[in-house]
Amino acid sequence: MTGREPRIICFSCNFAFCGQQTPLPENAKVAKVQCIGRIDPVSVLEVFEKGVDAVMLAGCKPPDCHYQEGNAQAELAVGILKRLLKYSGLEPERLKLVWVPPFEDQDLARYVKAFSEEIANLPSSPVGSSNAEASMLNLIAAKNAVAQFRTRVLLGREKELTESANAYGEKMSKGSYDEMLDEIVGDEFIRYKIHFLTKNVPMSVSDLAKATGLKPSEVLNHIVDMRRKNMLAVDHIEGASPVYKALEI
Amino acid sequence: MVIEATTGVRKMPPCRAECPAHVNVQAYVSLIQRRKYKEALEIIRQDLAFPAICGRVCFSPCQDACSRVDVDQAVAIRALKKFVADIERKGEGSRPKQIPKTHKEKVAIVGAGPAGLMAAYELAKLGYPATVFERMSEPGGMMRYCIPDFRLEKSVVAGEIDYIKALGVDIKTGVEFGKDITIESLWKEGYLAIFLAIGTQGGMRLGVPGEDLQGVVSAVDFLKDVALRKPVRIGKKVAVVGGGNSAIDAARTARRVGAKEVMILYRRSREEMPALPSEVMEADRDGVQINLLEAPKQILGRNGEVMAIECVHMKLGEPDESGRRRPVPITGSEHIYETDMVISALGQIAESSSIPDPLLDKKSRTPLIQADPVTLETNLPGVFAGGDIVSGPASIIEAVAAGKKVAKSIDLYLTGRDFRKGREEKVVATSWAKNQAVIKKVARYNAGEETPRTNIEETLDRMETVEREARWEACRCLGCGPCAECLGNTELCEADKAVVDADLCIGCNVCAVVCPVDAVKKNEDNIAEVDRDLCKGCGICAARCPTRAISMEKMTDERIRSLTTPSCKE
Repeated sequence: MTGREPRIICFSCNFAFCGQQTPLPENAKVAKVQCIGRIDPVSVLEVFEKGVDAVMLAGCKPPDCHYQEGNAQAELAVGILKRLLKYSGLEPERLKLVWVPPFEDQDLARYVKAFSEEIANLPSSPVGSSNAEASMLNLIAAKNAVAQFRTRVLLGREKELTESANAYGEKMSKGSYDEMLDEIVGDEFIRYKIHFLTKNVPMSVSDLAKATGLKPSEVLNHIVDMRRKNMLAVDHIEGASPVYKALEI
Repeated sequence: MVIEATTGVRKMPPCRAECPAHVNVQAYVSLIQRRKYKEALEIIRQDLAFPAICGRVCFSPCQDACSRVDVDQAVAIRALKKFVADIERKGEGSRPKQIPKTHKEKVAIVGAGPAGLMAAYELAKLGYPATVFERMSEPGGMMRYCIPDFRLEKSVVAGEIDYIKALGVDIKTGVEFGKDITIESLWKEGYLAIFLAIGTQGGMRLGVPGEDLQGVVSAVDFLKDVALRKPVRIGKKVAVVGGGNSAIDAARTARRVGAKEVMILYRRSREEMPALPSEVMEADRDGVQINLLEAPKQILGRNGEVMAIECVHMKLGEPDESGRRRPVPITGSEHIYETDMVISALGQIAESSSIPDPLLDKKSRTPLIQADPVTLETNLPGVFAGGDIVSGPASIIEAVAAGKKVAKSIDLYLTGRDFRKGREEKVVATSWAKNQAVIKKVARYNAGEETPRTNIEETLDRMETVEREARWEACRCLGCGPCAECLGNTELCEADKAVVDADLCIGCNVCAVVCPVDAVKKNEDNIAEVDRDLCKGCGICAARCPTRAISMEKMTDERIRSLTTPSCKE
């Protein structure tokens, strides 16, 4: 972070930090919620969209949680978010989940300062820099990926899927659940990215392959799915290849 | 607490619902978790004038109702109350500000026991000039004179009474009701309402031959004499008859004032003993012998003094009207214990001479005052009665509850309002932890990992350790009551609830899966429905709802967004 303090937004659990607090450093701002599990992944990406350098989530250290499982929910969300930050070209270290042990020093300012030092060497947020447009596009795609029904249902049902069986009596291992989540989030991210890329300028498969860094066959697979979901339609044919344009969703 | 507007039912967590005075347990336990000890004590003082006393000797029905029992063992609520009360005692103490007298109507309270003092405390808070008349030389009633020093230090009782005095309550000691003052004399002196809280002062008689021998005393008189530091004639071998807390107190006191051997004779088995199990254990530790299933038949004497007690073995028969199994004597099992002192601790009764005739409860076998169970008004207008003298011998916390009720009645009566209408309290214990499937999810502080510490009873010299243990203990609370209980509506927390937009809900059930307290369920129309009594406002369902049909009443997404707007621009 050249020449200035990183700007930090901290989401904090009301129960992890209570009582008298020393004032936070000026570069940070805190949003207190009842439980850290309350944090919708979308909100975190929105914060990054605003050009904040880093986000800290602070909750009660497992197994302590006023709501028993709020911290587990936060952990799940942070897992996905770190992946999406990476896809978006942002360092995953910009997001940190801190556990506050119930009997230790509960000074939020101390945690914020430590985090601030940790990320001091990272560059400023690309949002607002010369490369802003590309990062914004990525962040919007990421936001849509976690706002998407499929992702949210999967997130919400984690416990049910991995701990008890589904309607067919099948139980999922934590590993295969993570794999599935990875795949779905990755797919959704790419699809929304394609959707945004083709919003103003119609693009062909090979254009999109270049823009996303994927193989043309992979892009085509996504396009087939997106057409079925009415996210995309053929705009016109250029030579032998169709050119696609995003539909309103 | 959630109050239903239509039915007036108050929904509370089990601990608070079970407490006769409805002390907001969940709130002060939550505050202890957060190191807010002063605030915790304030919460207790809203409903109870004696945090330090009840923290020591309450029979803690709250603990018996605790939901944590289903996980490992109940939260040590009583010890936590003692902890916050002792922090204040150890620190600068507390000198509450005198409350200005906003009312002119004088109230007379007869008896400075828990019921009388609690009523005085409540009336003082409301701004009434209240005067408490006490027969003994010091106020406190049974708390001072019948609970021995090793269980409840006199300084603790004095401290609590000083607090009440500081609020502006006038306590006049050495004034006997029926002799120095009467109902008529109080009216003449200009008091507009009277509360009789004279308690039950006499010991129940054994009802066996030889009872009038020298060396037979009642537990109440014995404990009172010890408390007053009167010279007490104590035997070498003492027999205590009874199985309640007074019996245990008398036995343990006898050991301490010089009896070589002390035995308790109780006619039922240990399970039926009304004394607190922990007290019985302490008596064991003090070397008190506990002889169960034995009843005295007669007391034998020589030269007018106790020499021995003849007992008969009992067996347990059919349950009686109290639900306990009736003891039946086994004929021919008579046997004799040598003893030179017999303490009868069968219970207390009122001295009938102290009750004005028109107030007497004619249906009761023992002399008690008849009072309406809800308003505690007596047959005489403006005269109220409560505590042991109405209910028969009971506990401090029940007396406190009566004192609170009377204070409310008197307030309504003196301001000319209807003090009868709508007074009946409907309290329902509401807990998410009743659902065993949900409670199993609770992992924190499992007994298996760390033994829960219930022994915070030590001195506060080890303050740091004690504080840690107390907070640990407080964290074991499952917080099973309705949301608004947690912090007792302090500025630390706002009672938030989830709301469902039925138009957006698609019935996917994600909310029901993530809800930690089973507060969200689908209804017949396949739409999510929030049970407002159980919702504790964590917001996890709102964060996970795939269609964003659920939002929080207070911590909405918009509010979170506004909180995260960066404070510094480049």
